[in-house]
Formats: sequence, C-alpha cells, structure tokens
Amino acid sequence: MRIDNRSVLSFLVAAILTIVTAAAYADETCNSPYMTGLIKGQEDFVHVWTLGVLGMGDGSDKLVTVDANPASKSYGKVIDKISVGGRGEAHHMGFTDDRKYLWAGGLDDSKIHVFDVGTNPAHPTLVRTIDNLSAKTGYVGPHTFYALPGRMVIGNLSNAASKDGVTGLAVYNNKGDFVKKYDMPASEIKQLKGDGYGYDIAVNPAKNALLTSSFTGWNNYMRDLGELIKDPEAMKHFGNTLVMWNLKSMQPEQIFAVPGAPLEIRWALPDGQNWAITATALTSQLWLVKRDARGAWAAKDVAAIGDPAKIPLPVDISITADAKGLWVNTFMDGTTHYFDLTDPEHPKQTYAKHTGSQVNMVSQSWDGHRVYITSSLLSKWDKKGKDNEQFLRAFQWDGHELSPAFEVDFAKEQLGRPHHMKFTANAQRVAPAVGASTATASAR
Amino acid sequence: MRRSRGAAGAAATALCLAAGLNLAGEDPGKATAPRMEFVPPPPGSYTLQSIQRISDAVLLDSAGRAVRLSALTQGKITLLTFFYTYCADPLGCPFAHTTLANLRDRVTADRALAGRVRFVSVSLDPTHDTPAAIASYGQEFTADPEFEWRFVTARRVPELLPVLDDFGQDVSVDLDQYGRATRTLHHMLKMFLIDAHGEVREIYTLAFLQPQVIFNDIKTLALEAGSGPAAVRGRPSVSVQSKP
Repeated sequence: MRIDNRSVLSFLVAAILTIVTAAAYADETCNSPYMTGLIKGQEDFVHVWTLGVLGMGDGSDKLVTVDANPASKSYGKVIDKISVGGRGEAHHMGFTDDRKYLWAGGLDDSKIHVFDVGTNPAHPTLVRTIDNLSAKTGYVGPHTFYALPGRMVIGNLSNAASKDGVTGLAVYNNKGDFVKKYDMPASEIKQLKGDGYGYDIAVNPAKNALLTSSFTGWNNYMRDLGELIKDPEAMKHFGNTLVMWNLKSMQPEQIFAVPGAPLEIRWALPDGQNWAITATALTSQLWLVKRDARGAWAAKDVAAIGDPAKIPLPVDISITADAKGLWVNTFMDGTTHYFDLTDPEHPKQTYAKHTGSQVNMVSQSWDGHRVYITSSLLSKWDKKGKDNEQFLRAFQWDGHELSPAFEVDFAKEQLGRPHHMKFTANAQRVAPAVGASTATASAR
Repeated sequence: MRRSRGAAGAAATALCLAAGLNLAGEDPGKATAPRMEFVPPPPGSYTLQSIQRISDAVLLDSAGRAVRLSALTQGKITLLTFFYTYCADPLGCPFAHTTLANLRDRVTADRALAGRVRFVSVSLDPTHDTPAAIASYGQEFTADPEFEWRFVTARRVPELLPVLDDFGQDVSVDLDQYGRATRTLHHMLKMFLIDAHGEVREIYTLAFLQPQVIFNDIKTLALEAGSGPAAVRGRPSVSVQSKP
C-alpha cells in the first residue's frame, strides 16, 4: 500500500476544519454531564439566546455572542449576532452530545434553531431550523434541550390543541429527525395523579433516572403577567409535580407533589451523591429529591428562598461542580442568592446581592470563579418602564462577594431581551494554520 | 506492502490535527468509568428508540478486502464502535474492547443469541491502521470462530469521513504543551447498537457503557425480532470488490 499524498492533504483540510470543530470547551453544570468536552477553565464566549423586540434593531430573535475572555481585546463586547428572522419567544438552548451544535427553541412559534458553535465559536452559524415539532407531536413550546447520546430530548411546555400545560417530551436525533414522543403522565401512579405538565429535564445515567418538572402552558406564559396574576382561574393552571422516569424504558415511575411550579432541576454529580434539587417559582422553596437507603425516592422542601410571602419568583438555579453550592435568581426583587448545600437537606443562604431591577438566568462557570446573569424572563412577563432593564452582567466570585466584571446593555445595543446563556471556548492555543503547515511538511 | 515512516508520522499528525484539541482552560481530567446504581429493566419490557438508519459505505476488512458497511450492520444485531490500534487511554478504546469482550462472553453463553449478534470495530485512523495492523490488533478478540467480531478500516481518510459524519462520531487530536500534534486521537467513546435492519437503536457513551444494560438491550432486540426475517442467522455475505 502506498501512502497517497493527496489523501493526506485531504485529511489535512478536514483536519483543519475539525480543529475548530472541537472547540467547545467551557461549561456549567446544568449541561448533560456525559457530553464530551466539558471544561473547567476560562470560557472564551458567552452565547445569549435573545428575544426580539419590535422596534429594537431588526426586531428578531437572535443568538448574541459576547467575548468573555479577560485576555481578549474585545472582552465584554458583542462580537457576533445571528438573527433568525422573526420573533418566536426565544428562550432556552442546549448543546448536542458532542457540543458542536446548540439547539435553541422558541416558546411561541415552536421553532428549533440549530447553531453550529463548534466550527468557530466566535462566529456561530445557523445550520438548520426544525419546524415540525407540533406536527409530529402535538406539543408546542420547546423549552429544555437535553442531550442523550446521538439525540436530543426536548421538554415542552404546552400543546397545540388547547394550549394549556398538558404536554410531553420529544426526542429528535442529532440530524434533526423526529424519533419519538412521550406524554407527561396525567394519570395516577402509585396513588399520586400527574398533571401532565412539563418544563425541565435532568438525567442521571448512573441511576437510570430522568427527572422532569412542570410549569404552565402557552395560555399563561404568553399572557401579560399583570393580567395573569389577577385571574384566579388562570393561576390554577401551573404545574405542581416532579416526575421520576425510568430513563431506559422512558416510562414515568413516580410522581412527587411539589406545589408552585418546580422549574430548573440539577443533579448532584459527584460520586456518592444521590439527590437532585429544584426551586419552585410560585412558592419560593428549594425542593430536594433524594433516594433513601432502601432505594426509594422522595421529595421534600428544604429551604425558603427569600420571603415566600412576597413571591420573589425564583426563576433559575446553577449548582456548583462539587454540588456544595447553589446560585438562585429571584426575578421580582432582582436578587442573586447563594446557598451552602454542604448539607443538602438543610441548605443555608450565605450570600445575597441585588444584581438588577429584574434578573432571570444565572450561570456559574465550572471553576466557580465567574457568575453570569441575564435579565429577561418572558416577553409578556418582563417588568415595564425603567425596571425593564435588559442586560448581561458578568461577575467575579471570590467566595465572599460578587464583583462586577463587565456588562452588555442589550437595550442600548438594540439587541432585545437576553435570556439563556451557554459557554464555549477556542480549542487552540496555536493557530490551526501553524499545525497544518507542520503536518504538511511532515507529509513531505 | 511498503509504507514510509515519514508518511505514517504525517498521517498521525494529520489525524491529530483533526482533533485539534487544546483545552482553553484546565485539563478536565480523565473520564471516569461508568457507575451503575440501579437494576435495569428486564429484556423485552421496553422498546428501544429507532434513532437513525446507517448510510452505506465501502470499508476494508482485516484481510484487505473491500466490504460494504451495510453487510456489517444488517442481518444480525450489531454492536459497532470506533477505535485506533495505538489508543492508550484506559477509558478509551481499550475500555470499549474490554466491555465488548465481556459482552461477547455473555452473548455466547446465551443459546437464544447464538449466531444473531456481531461486533464491528472501525478504525479511526485508516492511514496507520492498515488491514495488517487491525488484523494483528484484533487477534485476541477474534479467536472464537463461532462469534463474528469484525475489525475494519478504510482505504483512505476521505472514505472514512462520511462514515464518521453519518454516525456522529467526532475525532480530533490532542496537542502537546508546544501546540504540536500528538499521537493521541481524541474522540467521544460511542458504541452503537444496530438492529438487523440496519437501524441504530441505542448509543452508549462512557457514562452509559454498562454491560448488563447493553446485554439486556441486545436481548430486547432479539425478542423484538423473534423468529422472523430480522432474526437472520449466520455470517453475512461480504461484498468483495477490487483489492486496494
């Protein structure tokens, strides 16, 4: 067999392309823990899935990329934005298992936009838009995108028929082809009735466990918040359950009564841990789901977040890599809280800071040194007037104090309402061309 | 067969470039072996998803003969993984093959699965992993004539890339502290469970590489196929084309 220089060169071309493909190397702990390329160091970029606002810039939903590396000349600046050509209520995103792509959903138009963030994370590209979710499943409002090997599980919020909160999980393969749907349980399992509502997804492979939470349907999340809270009937239509699924069989096995719309779920991932945690939006509690010595799962409220009587509205959480700390953002009072989770059955708030007039998503870097916050909850739920700040704020965290690092004013820059964030980083310390030249020389 | 050391080195370098990895921050550390803290559901009590069909391609077997991928992924329940012969990561290719060897023993001990299961190991480095190299590497795994375990490579890298793309198998190369390509290929360990019709029904990454679960999945597919056409027995026909 003779080595063909052309084939070597062909591979070099592919190699050069792949150099950048392998780039995504920053993370926070809410991502699927078994994906490739998790990083513990400095992220280079923060991608922000941003709701379009009529009259603000092009008015379209967009993926905004911000330089987050302090060593960069463009640190703290917007370096790229990709509009998707409409306002579909941009909300959450999730990486594929290889972290090459970000799937980003619209809660109103139910479109799923797939961005390539691997080839060049500084400048993502829109490679595909999936618009058959409703046709394939009857569900609308794609919320959580959670990678399983070779495919994406999508947690939805509503359905096309009644647009209430009854919904389910949709599975697509990484090519964007529909695979299967699973309704959220609405019947009784072990003497507890499901509400059929959905929201977040969190998987623990070692326990064959998939845990889901529940929020509300399109009728509520696309309604003005001021009107909604004055409508007692509408306020009855919020999720009150967590569901434990058998991951292998994708069958719901246990329902937990968790009143007040349990939202984001995070598993404690270190060895020996057997619990997950969530926060309820309306009742402002931290809930622990823990397996006892006999192997039975149980859920219980373990701490209040702020003053529940004032409905501070916890909206997002971010757990530390060692599962000993938890960040919680409360939207109404614009506060970022830190809880010590050393004893997960008795979380203790050890820090709180007013970080904005309204704050929504919170994401901590894996190394724990940086915390990022965005402002927007939903287009119809954000505050009005001067309180309608729209920003991405980055902070340094020294274990005692959040210190401002940089801020991007999304209103001033005519970008829109910033919501979900994901981190990526450059793969190379050495320019790909240098490596390619070396390899080419070797080939000769 | 003649092969220059320089070209081989270049190929390894090129492969390394394909990975192109350097960590932007700290090394995330070695992967950990999968934990299994549950009793898996019994075979046949669940349905595996139909994830994707496999596109056909032409590869090379360990005797240097051209073989269609479809001949290796249809007619039997197939476990397919990607590897390279000089992989040294104890939780990489060696771990995959140890797991497969464990599964082979389980499968061969189960009379209901006799002749219905095959394993396929596809090299990620067709330049270095020649048919002779994969034949040598695969010797310890292919000694049992009653069990079909095929080691294959590709004639050239461009013929492998569409296969990797179709499976969604990433590959890249680690760089050393000076930014030079090393001989360590970085890839996400994936194992694909394919039914007798050529449809991927499950994918296992390291966290999911739990032998008992995989064995139950194989049994589930066997039960699903029953004694119908899907339960084809015997070795597949190999489409032999011209020698490379």
